Amino acid sequence: FSTAPAMAQADTSNWKCEYCPFPSGYDAEVDVGASYVSDDAARFGNASGYDEAGGYLNLGGEGHYANDGYQLNWFAEDLGLDSRVFEVDGGRQGKFGFHLGYSELPYRLFDSTSTVFTAASSETLVLPTNWVPASLTSGFTELATSLQPRNIESDRQTLTAGANLQASSDFSLFADYRHQERDGIDIVSGANFIQGSYLPRVLDFETDLVDLGVAYSNGSLNLSLAWFGSFFKNNVNSLTWDNPFTSFPGAEQGRLAQEPDNEFQQLTLSGAYVADTLKSVIAFSAGLGQGKQTEQLLPYTINPTITAGNPPLSNLDGKVDTTNYALTVTSRPFSKARVKLAYRYDERDNQTAQSSWSRVIVDSFASGENELNTPYSFERERLSVSGAYRLFDSVRVSAGYDRTDLQRDFQEVAEQTEDSGWGQVRWKATQWLDIKAKGGTSRREIDRYDTDLAASFGQNPLLRKYNLAYRYREFGELTMSVTPAELPFSVGLSALFADDSYSKSDLGLTDSENLHFSLDLGYTLSETASIYLVGGVENIDAAQLGSATFSIPTWQAEHEDKFNHYGAGLQLRQLGEKTDLSIDYLFTDGSTSINMRENGVDNLFPDLESELESLRVRVNYRKSDRLDVDLSLRYESFQTKDWAIEGVEPDTIRTVLTFGADPYDYSVWVFGVSFRYLIGER
Amino acid sequence: AQTSTDSESTYSRAGADSCIACHEDAATMSIFKTPHAVPTDARSPFGSGQLQCEACHGPGGEHAGRVRRGQERPPVIRFGSGTATTIVEQNGVCLDCHSGDAGFAWHGSGHDDNEVACADCHQVHIAHDPVLQTANQPDVCFDCHQQQRSQALKPYSHPFSEGKMDCSGCHSPHGETTDRLFVRQTLNDTCFECHAEKRGPYLWEHAPVAEDCSTCHDPHGSNHPGMVSLRGPMLCQTCHSQADHQSFANGPDGLADGTASKYLLGRNCMNCHTQVHGSNHPSGSKLMR
Repeated sequence: FSTAPAMAQADTSNWKCEYCPFPSGYDAEVDVGASYVSDDAARFGNASGYDEAGGYLNLGGEGHYANDGYQLNWFAEDLGLDSRVFEVDGGRQGKFGFHLGYSELPYRLFDSTSTVFTAASSETLVLPTNWVPASLTSGFTELATSLQPRNIESDRQTLTAGANLQASSDFSLFADYRHQERDGIDIVSGANFIQGSYLPRVLDFETDLVDLGVAYSNGSLNLSLAWFGSFFKNNVNSLTWDNPFTSFPGAEQGRLAQEPDNEFQQLTLSGAYVADTLKSVIAFSAGLGQGKQTEQLLPYTINPTITAGNPPLSNLDGKVDTTNYALTVTSRPFSKARVKLAYRYDERDNQTAQSSWSRVIVDSFASGENELNTPYSFERERLSVSGAYRLFDSVRVSAGYDRTDLQRDFQEVAEQTEDSGWGQVRWKATQWLDIKAKGGTSRREIDRYDTDLAASFGQNPLLRKYNLAYRYREFGELTMSVTPAELPFSVGLSALFADDSYSKSDLGLTDSENLHFSLDLGYTLSETASIYLVGGVENIDAAQLGSATFSIPTWQAEHEDKFNHYGAGLQLRQLGEKTDLSIDYLFTDGSTSINMRENGVDNLFPDLESELESLRVRVNYRKSDRLDVDLSLRYESFQTKDWAIEGVEPDTIRTVLTFGADPYDYSVWVFGVSFRYLIGER
Repeated sequence: AQTSTDSESTYSRAGADSCIACHEDAATMSIFKTPHAVPTDARSPFGSGQLQCEACHGPGGEHAGRVRRGQERPPVIRFGSGTATTIVEQNGVCLDCHSGDAGFAWHGSGHDDNEVACADCHQVHIAHDPVLQTANQPDVCFDCHQQQRSQALKPYSHPFSEGKMDCSGCHSPHGETTDRLFVRQTLNDTCFECHAEKRGPYLWEHAPVAEDCSTCHDPHGSNHPGMVSLRGPMLCQTCHSQADHQSFANGPDGLADGTASKYLLGRNCMNCHTQVHGSNHPSGSKLMR
C-alpha cells in the first residue's frame, strides 16, 4: 500500500530543464601509482595483495560515457596487485543493461611454513628419495635436510557477466553469470593409524553460477520467476601421499578423497501484492531445488595387501531436494498500527540411498564392520507474529512471537521447537534523539534425546549436543542515536546481550553469554574539518562439561573471549584550498582465556591473544583542474599468541608431522604515491 | 504551518529550473550524474513528462514562491531520519517507483520494522552512492550494526576491512522472503555461493554442516582461526563424547613445552579428522579420508 504523500497534478509543459547539466560525452579519471612495502607478511597481504616486501606499480580509475541515454562505464582498482578488480557496465537505462567484471582475491595464510612433501602432480605428494620412515617424528633422520619452505596461499578469480532487458513497461528479463576459480595450496591432514601428516594439497576449484529470470511489475503486483544453477568442479579428485611414518604392510601410501563435483539447480517464484484497500502487502516465495553429486568413488583403500572388495556403488548418486516456502503479510489496519504475520518452511530432503559400506581404517587394516551412510534431512517451519503501535507521536511499541519447529532424520533429537517472545520500545524524543530498547526470551524444547541412537555412535548418554539440546535464552538490546542538526556532534551507542542456558545438559555446552557494547562519536569542527572516535567491547563466555571416564562430568572448560576495538580519525578538507588530509587509527585487542578445570583443579591455558594497530594517512593535493596527487602512508602491526602453533615445529608433536607455522608477528609500512588525471570534463 | 504533503499544494512554475535557481551547489547538482536524472528513461524523475525534483520532494510551488520577510519558507519533502517528513512518507516516495526492485519485499522486512529510512543508507545526490560501493558499504551498515563492525575487525573474518567484501554479498537489505535476509533461501545456500565445494551431498555427511554452517562458525568474525565459535578441540567436544580421546580433558600440560598433545596442538581434531565438512571416500565415515 502506498505510503507516499498524495501529490497534486502538475502541468509540466513549460518545464524546460534548461539549467540541468545532464552528462554527455566521455570523462575518465586514471590513477597511476607506486607503492613500497617494507616487509614480507602473508597475513598483511591477505585480501590486499601486499604480501611481499618491495615495490608495486598500480593502476586504477574509472570512466564514463553518456550520450542520448546510452551509457558505458568502467572501473578499475588495484590492477597491479593480486586483489585487482575491473568492471564494465553499460546500456540504455530503462531499456537494457549489461555488466562484465573480473576480480581476484588473494588468500594468504602462512609464509612461515615448510614441508617435506613435493607435488609430483596435483593429486600426488611424494617424499624425498632418501626419506627414512620412523614411528615417531623424533625418528625422522632426514627431516631437517628435507624441509622446504611452502607458503599456504591461494587465489580466487571471479569472472562476472550479466544483462537485463526491460522488455515492456511491465516485464523485464535478467541473466547473471559468475565463474569462480580458486587455486593454490591449502593444508589438509593425512592420517595413518595413530599418526598424521600435514599435506600441502593443491586447490583447483571451478564454480559456475547462473541466475536467469523474468520479472513482472505493474505497481500493485510484482512477480519474479528465477532459475539458479550452481555447478562446482574440482580438478583434483583425490590426494595420494607417501606416508612418512612406519606403516602397516602396504600402507606406504595413503589416499584422501577430495571435494566431489556437485551441481544444484533451483526454481523460485516470488512476488508481492499490494492490496491498497486492505492496507496490506502480501509477499511470498516458493523455491524448489535439487542438488546432485555423482563423482566416481575411490576404492576402499589404496593398500594392495588388503582385500576389501568393491564399494557397493561406483558413484554415490547423491541427490538432495530442497523446498523453501515463505509468506509474509504486513498490514496497517489504521495509521498508528501495523501487524505482520510471517511463515517460512525450509526442507532439505536428502534422497541419497543408504548402502552398507565396509571400511578400511586409514588404509591400514579392515575394520571388519559394515556401516550405513546417513543422508541427513531436516524440515524447519517458522511462524512469527508481530505488531507495532504508535502510542504517542514519539513512542512506538512493538512485540512479537516466533515459533520454530524442526524435524530431523538420523539424529538424537527428531523434533524440537523453539518459542520466542520479545518486546520493544522506541522513543524518538526529538528529530535528533532516538532510543530503542528491546528484550525477550526464547525456550527451545525437544521431544526426547534418543540416547539409544547416541549410544550407537558410542556417545556418552549424558551428552546433549548444543544444537539439539534444551536451551533457555534471554536477550536484550539498547541503542541510542543522538544527531542534533543544529549542533556539531553525533553520538551512537549500542549495548546488547544474549544469555543462553543449556540447563538440562549434563555434558556438553552448558552456558553461553554474549555481551557487546560500542560507542561512536562524531564531531564537526568546521565546514572543512571533522573528527570521530569509535570503540567497542565484546565478551563471549561459554562453559562446557566433559567426562574422561565415560560417566558423570570430570572436567569443565570455561572459555572467555574478549575483543576490544578503538578507533579515531581526522578529516581536513581544502587545506590551502588544494589539499585534503585524512588520518585513521585503529587498535584492536583480542584475547581468549580457557580454564580446563579437572577434578576440581584449575588448569589455565596461556591466553590466546591478538593485537592489531593500524594507521592510515592520506594526503590529496589538487595540482590542477586535471591532476590530483595522492600521498599515502599505511602502517600495520599485528601480533598473535597462539599456543596451538607457538613452539610447534614440524617434529614437536611425536605423531604428527606439521608445517611448523609461526604465530603472526609483523609490522609493515606501506608508502604510496599516485597521480589521478582527469580526461574530459568532470 | 502548511506541510509538503497537502494535496492542494502546487508545483513550481518551471520545475527543476525553479529549484536550481537557489540550489545550485555541487552536492545538489550531483543528482545529474545519477540514474535518477536520465531524460531518455521515462521512469526517471527527469524523464519526459516527469516531475523532476518535485517527483521526490513533492510540490514545491509554495516553497519556491515569494515569502514575506521573517516568514518561514514552506517545506518540501526532505529525506533522512533527522527531518520533519516522516519515515513512512519518505519511504513511500521511494517505493512508489522502486516497488518492483528494491521494495519487492520491503514491507515487513527488518529494516522496515525498525523504520529505517531509505535515505539513512542511500545518498541519491551523489554520483557513486557509498552503500552501492563494495569498499564503502560495510561502513554504512556498521553505523547501525555496531556489533558486526566489532566482529568484522576480529583477527579471523571475511575481508571487509580490505574493502573486498560487502554485506550485500550475503544479505539483501531491502528485505527478502528468504531466511534472515539472505541472498539465497537459507544460510547454507548463501555460504555455498562462494564455498560451493562444501555443498555435497557427501557420502559421509557431518550432520551440522548439512543443516547450518553457523553451528560451528561465526561468519562475521571470531578470535579463532576458521571463524569458529570456540577453540578446538573443545568445540568438537561439545558434541563428541565417545569413551576415548574424544573425552580427554585436554589441559595446558599438552602444550608444546609439555607433552605436545596431538589432540590439542596444530589443527587439533583435524590433525586426523581432516574432512570435517564431509567425506566422499568409501572408508571415510570417521571423516579421516
